[in-house]
Amino acid sequence: MGDLPIEASGLVRRFGDFVAVDRVDLAVRSGEVFGFLGPNGAGKSTTVRMLTTLLTPTEGTARVAGYDVVREASKVRRAIGVALQDAAIDPLMTGNELLRLQAALQGIPRSAAARRGAELLERVGLTAAGDKRVGAYSGGMRRRLDLALALLHEPRVLFLDEPTTGLDPSSRLNLWEEVRYLNSELGTTVLLTTQYLEEADQLAERIAIIDGGRIVREGRSGDLKAEVGSPTLRIELADGDGVAAQAEAALAPFGEARPCEAGFVAVGLSGGAARMAEVVRALDEVGVTVAGMELHNPTLDDVFADATGRRLEGAAEDTGPDEAGPGTMGSDGSDGRGSGAGAGPGGDGAGPGAGVGGSAAAVSAGRRRGRR
Amino acid sequence: MAAVAADATGVAGADARAQRATRGLRSAMAQVGALSGRSVRNIWRQPQVWIPSIAFPLMFAALNTAALGRVPGQIADQSGGTFHPFGPRDVYLDFLFVATLTQGVLFGGLSGGSELAQDIESGFFDRLVTTPVRRASILVGRLAGSAVLGGVQALVFMAVFLAFGARVQGGLAGAVVLPLAAMLLALTIGGLACAMAIRTGSVEAVQGVFPLIFITLFISSAFFPTALMTGWYRTVATHNPLSTMINGMRHQVLVGFDLAEAAKAVLVPGGLATLAIVLCLVSLRARLAQR
Repeated sequence: MGDLPIEASGLVRRFGDFVAVDRVDLAVRSGEVFGFLGPNGAGKSTTVRMLTTLLTPTEGTARVAGYDVVREASKVRRAIGVALQDAAIDPLMTGNELLRLQAALQGIPRSAAARRGAELLERVGLTAAGDKRVGAYSGGMRRRLDLALALLHEPRVLFLDEPTTGLDPSSRLNLWEEVRYLNSELGTTVLLTTQYLEEADQLAERIAIIDGGRIVREGRSGDLKAEVGSPTLRIELADGDGVAAQAEAALAPFGEARPCEAGFVAVGLSGGAARMAEVVRALDEVGVTVAGMELHNPTLDDVFADATGRRLEGAAEDTGPDEAGPGTMGSDGSDGRGSGAGAGPGGDGAGPGAGVGGSAAAVSAGRRRGRR
Repeated sequence: MAAVAADATGVAGADARAQRATRGLRSAMAQVGALSGRSVRNIWRQPQVWIPSIAFPLMFAALNTAALGRVPGQIADQSGGTFHPFGPRDVYLDFLFVATLTQGVLFGGLSGGSELAQDIESGFFDRLVTTPVRRASILVGRLAGSAVLGGVQALVFMAVFLAFGARVQGGLAGAVVLPLAAMLLALTIGGLACAMAIRTGSVEAVQGVFPLIFITLFISSAFFPTALMTGWYRTVATHNPLSTMINGMRHQVLVGFDLAEAAKAVLVPGGLATLAIVLCLVSLRARLAQR
């Protein structure tokens, strides 16, 4: 083991017969923001709880800040800052009281604690709320206070377990700014777990995708997406799943089938946007009516789907306009704003599921179906 | 020369160790102080926790006094003599004082366990455990709140009972025994409740102990002298450690200050509190080891 701030080898955690974390290896570099991405129940939080000494690994070893998480747990606790899921903060205490309590627990002298606490409250924009009880804070304010508490003793390594879950978009952006500041200005090593694709994409230099307790992909976001290759063409079938087999057969020459939800087919379109009209014609020839089409460059969700055969829960919420690919179009091959006669029931190509937002809703609501 | 150098190194090493120990002790004291402060503040900020533990026993006392205030103070015993179950003054209110105090402290003492279970349920306990805080400090800090509440309850009950005509025959020395015993009893109940909280992590489970405490209190000498009881009830009440403590406290109120009785009033809950705290620490160690 070298001088990596976080390293784990063959980490396993079982709860009875259930294997929550299965032979996880990690190597997080100094000053890095490392994203741990996966759906609920994938094993992210269990891994973090082992790395923060809250859980003992069933097998394997892990070192944080150079200390073994089992044999040198108290040294690990001195070196880390932790903001756990749900920001468990005593609602009866004020922000300032919690900072003073945290300082005492970390062994920070009172005068230094007061100065540092005031700085942090200012940094996270809670100076005015410092004497208010936490019970009166919004979700975003709690998260920011949680972050301030985790940073009070200037930890070398910071663990953020789903720091933005349940936050509104504005609070989420504020928290992202804080994480960026910590990393770029203070050089803090951050391990961030998230189920949000965009969050991992925005913040993490490297990402590990975890599913079923195992890391299924690891690398830089761009590299992971590049591994997926061609953009995904997602087609909504006007006649639903009944014609899916015909549609897939017709799409086979255009690229490999990709997982998607019920009522849709998807293909990794070799040749990109230029072949979309060709696809429509091929489907038309076999009698498949298209309700809508969408082409997008590989996203982390595609990486996840490529690795697991399933879409990541919550992907819908994150598929923002910045993730849209070269274009969306109606079934008539128009640009999606189209006014021409379309083959699908939408007619003008702006039918159900044709737009990015519409497709996102469909992902969210639809029955998920894994096809490889 | 080498011997001198070794001596100097040894002295320096001992100094460094002493400094580390001093720093460690100071840090532990600061941790306990901060956690105790939180515990006391949180109780104060939840009137629903402390008001019932003071108001309900006083309400019971008012009802009992109204119902039993005219019970004769002199009762014939089997040998043909008489005894004074409510003390030489024959005042039921004097007799009831310690019962009310004990009842209030028993109910209030549970709050420490409920608060700890709440911390476990909410995840705040995990926040504490991810810091370098000593594990024992978490418990001591939590129990401090129970002890302070017990002491405050004793003072409030004393003030109310004195205002309504009760007297503490033991004077100042006897009066000091009462809050002291109350604090130790609060530590006992708080410790047992915390052990339950650590084992179950459930507020409901801790509050489920309430009926047991209620029964333990009623099968004791709290509300009636054991001399008036019969059969198994009398046997259990006589051997109930709570009765020993209550009788010791009651002696200070009804008869006067007596060192041996004061020792019973303090040492019984003191011993029980020690056992409860050990049980707590063992439970905590087991919980953390199971993780």
